[in-house]
Amino acid sequence: MTVALIRNKDQHVSTRRSADAWPIGAVRYLVAAIFTGFFLLPFYVIVTTALKTETAIFAWPPIWVFKPTLQSFYNALFVFGGRGAVSYLINSIVISAVSTFLAVVLGAMAAYGFVRFSFAGKRHLAFWILSTRFAPPVAFIVPIYLMVQKLGLLDSHIALILIYTAMNLSLVIWILRGFFAEIPIEIEEAALVDGYSRLQIFWRVAVPLVRPGIVSTAILSAIFSWNEFLYAMVLTQSRAATLPVYLAGFSNSMGLAWGEYMAVGTLAVLPILFFTFALQRYLVRGLTFGAVK
Amino acid sequence: MKLAVQRRRAARVLITPAVAVLLALNLFPIVYALYISVHYWTLARPQPPRFAGLSNYADLFFDERFRNAVLVSLKFIVLAVGIELLLGFGLAFVFNARLRGIATLRKLTLLPSLVMPLVVGLVWFYMFNENFGLVNWIWVMLGGTRVPFLTQGTLALLSIVATDVWQWTPFVMLVFFAALQALPEYVYEAARIDGLSGCQIFFRVTLPLLRPAILIVLIIRAVDALRSLELVFMMTKGGPAGDTEVLPWYLYTAGFLSLDLGYAAAMAVLMLALVTVLSQLFARRLESQEAVL
Repeated sequence: MTVALIRNKDQHVSTRRSADAWPIGAVRYLVAAIFTGFFLLPFYVIVTTALKTETAIFAWPPIWVFKPTLQSFYNALFVFGGRGAVSYLINSIVISAVSTFLAVVLGAMAAYGFVRFSFAGKRHLAFWILSTRFAPPVAFIVPIYLMVQKLGLLDSHIALILIYTAMNLSLVIWILRGFFAEIPIEIEEAALVDGYSRLQIFWRVAVPLVRPGIVSTAILSAIFSWNEFLYAMVLTQSRAATLPVYLAGFSNSMGLAWGEYMAVGTLAVLPILFFTFALQRYLVRGLTFGAVK
Repeated sequence: MKLAVQRRRAARVLITPAVAVLLALNLFPIVYALYISVHYWTLARPQPPRFAGLSNYADLFFDERFRNAVLVSLKFIVLAVGIELLLGFGLAFVFNARLRGIATLRKLTLLPSLVMPLVVGLVWFYMFNENFGLVNWIWVMLGGTRVPFLTQGTLALLSIVATDVWQWTPFVMLVFFAALQALPEYVYEAARIDGLSGCQIFFRVTLPLLRPAILIVLIIRAVDALRSLELVFMMTKGGPAGDTEVLPWYLYTAGFLSLDLGYAAAMAVLMLALVTVLSQLFARRLESQEAVL
């Protein structure tokens, strides 16, 4: 029901959102501003702590005006922990990028297959795929660890890439299913008449039409891979270790290296801030599997 | 006839790769976890696993620490998700207004939901610090005395709840906001013509129409709160005295610190059973929406 109603969103541009009389409007502003401040404050803390000197980090009361230094960034990237965070950063980028590419390609193919073809057991298969979204990594970590160990793939990029691909597939398939379903079938029938094969239609006609969906699922997948912690910590140590593994090392720093870890935290958060704004429109749709558009 | 064969082949080519990945990395690990859970299987000694029947499960039943972990997880989920839903619901109404600048504020609130959970844990760990943390500073400014937020039982759990609320309330708010935007105007006109008061409209029209969105966000948040262990890892390591030892954290320590894989797998199987129930509820919700399409 919701979806059916939500479909009409563009037609009735919320006439109900009328302007308030001034006291209510002022209260709205105040509440909205306070909560926005609350939601943004930690970002300010991450970035400023990364730019503070050690004495300023431990100061009481907190120091608000200070001369920024890049020393923490330098230490974190090139010195700290023997070899610095650069290799972790590179691993994170490579593993997120490749796993996202795989998830989007395989996911788009499957999503299109689900929308345009009918076969026995289709609904069951689709809902089984949906259910994999709910799989808690911690419940899989023991069998996955043993599988990866037996294949000799501990501390390898390929293990994390495949696991993250699987982790993001249900998201990609379910969101793109919605996007493919919105393509008018007539367009594809015209292509069929023009002599395109089924797979050509998928690749040359359907995929270009759902580009916004592809871009937003790719960004979401990349963020989820980028953020993932548990598999990375259990399955990698050094060669394929990602940023979260570096950050987990904070526990061993005796709670002293705040500046360095906040610097790495800043690097882990910045790309996400950028992409979140790019994503804006499709975020809720993506995070609820198209249940809310 | 030929077309039907072609179509079936196309469907198979499109869907098989994704399904294969999910079979290998979702279904197989579940079966493997069941197998491990009925064995004495330790990483500590190099002896082969021995069949154990259901004794791992029986041990769980009598394990105080397991009972504690279930209870702590339950408290965490009920508190965090409860607060997120109430607060997010209220904020959706606050932000649902046509006021200059309020859309910008709303977009900014989006940021916490996509940030690496480990960084969230790191920055709130810093802010909750007893000696130089911002939260304590604000508390002292308001006339209190310094509070050891993360080393006192109940307070530690509440601090982690507060952190989770910080991260996920905006997401809940945006889902409700999208759902509110999608409510059709004519229903409200009809309600006004019928002479319903503002209060009656809220309880008899708005709330019932938002029910699907409430259910969806409730299930998504509950499942994600159940799996979350990053905040505990960063902020308390399950302490003090197990007061923040949530189920995933206990599972992780049993498997990879105590190296008792059979026992950890038994916990994983129970967790999967619970999540399966929740994901079925979610699937049914989506299915009933799709039926209308």
